[in-house]
Parts: sequence; C-alpha cells; structure tokens
Amino acid sequence: MGDVHEVPRRRIATGQLAQYIGQPVCFVGRVEKIHPTGKLFVLSDGEGKHATVELSEPLDEELSGVIEVVGRVTNQATIMCMSYVQFREDKSPFDLELYNEALKIIHEFPEYFPFS
Amino acid sequence: GGYTQSPGGFGSPAGSQAEKKQRIRSQNIVPCTVSQLLAAEQVDETFRIRDVEISQVTIMGIIRHAEKAPTNILYKVDDMTAAPMDVRQWVDTDEAGSENVVVPPGTYVKVAGHLRSFQNKKSLVAFKIMPLENMNEFTTHILEIVNAHMILRRNLMSASRMPQSFSSAGIGDVGGYGGGGSLPVNGLTAHQSQVLNLIKNCPIPEGMSLQELKIQLHNMSMSTIKQAVEFLSSEGHIYSTVDDDHYKSTDAE
Repeated sequence: MGDVHEVPRRRIATGQLAQYIGQPVCFVGRVEKIHPTGKLFVLSDGEGKHATVELSEPLDEELSGVIEVVGRVTNQATIMCMSYVQFREDKSPFDLELYNEALKIIHEFPEYFPFS
Repeated sequence: GGYTQSPGGFGSPAGSQAEKKQRIRSQNIVPCTVSQLLAAEQVDETFRIRDVEISQVTIMGIIRHAEKAPTNILYKVDDMTAAPMDVRQWVDTDEAGSENVVVPPGTYVKVAGHLRSFQNKKSLVAFKIMPLENMNEFTTHILEIVNAHMILRRNLMSASRMPQSFSSAGIGDVGGYGGGGSLPVNGLTAHQSQVLNLIKNCPIPEGMSLQELKIQLHNMSMSTIKQAVEFLSSEGHIYSTVDDDHYKSTDAE
C-alpha cells in the first residue's frame, strides 16, 4: 500500500489540486472516462470539474460510479493514485454535490476537522 | 443479525444553558476524526479535545486491516485525517454466532466506542461496528463532526463566561451558519441566542429592557427582538420582571 496511507490525506475537490502539489490527498469523484491503456482515468467532482488520475499499474477491473482515490498530487496537478475504493451505491446513490458542500465546510473550519 | 442501530450522531445537549455547564462530558457520544482522537489530551481518566471532554465517540472510516484473536478482533480504521486507528472489538466467547464475524478490509464502517490510551498510544474499544450501507452517511458524519465540536466548544466558552462569546457577533463567529441566523443551533436561532446571552449577562436587578436590547443589537429590528423575547419566555429561558419590557434569565447565576 505504501507510506501515503500512514499520513493525513486532505480531502479535496478539483479546484484545490493546484494548491496541494506534492501533497497526499484523498479525492472522491465519479468515473467519466478510462484511458484505453488502463493507466489513466478521469473523475468529475461534485461541481462537475474533472481531475485526472494516473496509475503505476494498469487497471485490472472495469471502474464505474463513485471512486475514492488516495494518492499524491503531481506537478501537473493530476493525482498519482496509490489506492482506490469504490463507494457502494447498491442501496442508495451517492450525493456527490452534497459531499462537495461538506468539503467546503471542512476547509472553512479546519479547527473542527483537522488533518493533523 | 449482529448489527443493530448504533446510538449514532451527536447527542445534542438540549435544555437550559445551566445544565450544559458541568455536563459537557461523557454523557454524549461525539462524532470525531481520528486526528482529533490522536490529539486529545489526557488528564487522569478524562480526555479532552480542545478543552471539550469526550469519552464515547463515533468515527467513520475504511477498514485497512483486520486481525482475529481468540478474545478480540483488532481493526485498523482509516478516515484519511491521520494514520489508521486501532479499534478493538471484544468477542463474546460465550455466544456462538454472528457477533464474531470479522468485517473485511476495504469496507467503510461506523464505529462507536470508548477512547483509550495505553503507553501513550490511543485506541478505541468499540461497542458497535457497522458497515455503511449508504455512503451519504459518511458525508453526514463529516458535517456532524464540525457541528458537534463547534457547539460543544461554544457551550464550553459561554459556560465559563469568557468575554468574547458575548459580543454581539458572538453567534456570527460561527461562520458557516450565515448572518440571517435562521438555522437553529442547540434549539435556539442565532438571534434568540444573542438576545438570551445579553439578558443573562445583565447585572441590573430588574433585568434587561427591550430598549437596551435594541441599543445593543443594532442590526436587529425591534420586532425581531420582540419575537425572540416571546419565544425565550415561552420556553422558560427568561421571565418578565417589573413590566413586559424587562426580562431576566431563569438560569440562576
């Protein structure tokens, strides 16, 4: 899994990628498209803005729906993915827009939602 | 099945401000981030997160690791705010069956438990671990964390009578709730809280007059003030004294 899972990973939206270059982050978004090589895919955040996620190994499964990516932001403001998980939506669809609003709140009140 | 509804959410300390003073403590189950738990300071048997006492907490995160031992299951739960936290669930060795099912790594769960510290390492002893079936609960949990810690801290500040909580912008400091003050916090709107705080702090024997409230709350109309006073009076927070224009707080101070 790698060291990035032992440190704080800020939850961010696409608009903040540029601010967190080099930092470990956690990004939640909906799969928009997957590159034919399987080493790159595009997610959209709760405001519909796209973020590019790169993998060191090609995907070995078909990705769809809402994905939570843990990784590091590259100099090109893409995310180098260290791990990902699919949010289950079998019982209820995930409200990505609401999640985006929650992100705004936790960024506004870091004293009540610290990333140590 | 092994999973029933957990106590869930933040047990909001309803009721008068006086009750909250001494009891912003382990009676509530407080939603927290792992980072908050790791940063909690321990004095004797109690933990405090920025001065707010906590004991029973809920966290939500993904299981990174699960290890089953004869008497307990040790999970590592990761909510991205810090390194994964150790969560121990004691297994009832007398009862056969579903309580002892190990939740697999990669599952998002809600954990309710007690914060513990041993040899300077924090962990949780869980009394409930529930896989999330609806990931929107996770979003709600994030919001509840901010809400709970903000309210707990605000109550603590007003209970210890720290001056800055009584400025007319006292509730306005709670940024995200907006200037309109229409979103209830602790059962009172921002306007009602501001009026109540001024009345509580008034040292005059016959209490605070409506005129004085209007002078202090210059951005509130007289009709808004009167509505707040009516509400607070009907809820028992204040009572009229020499006439219907003067009010005192029911909290004995």
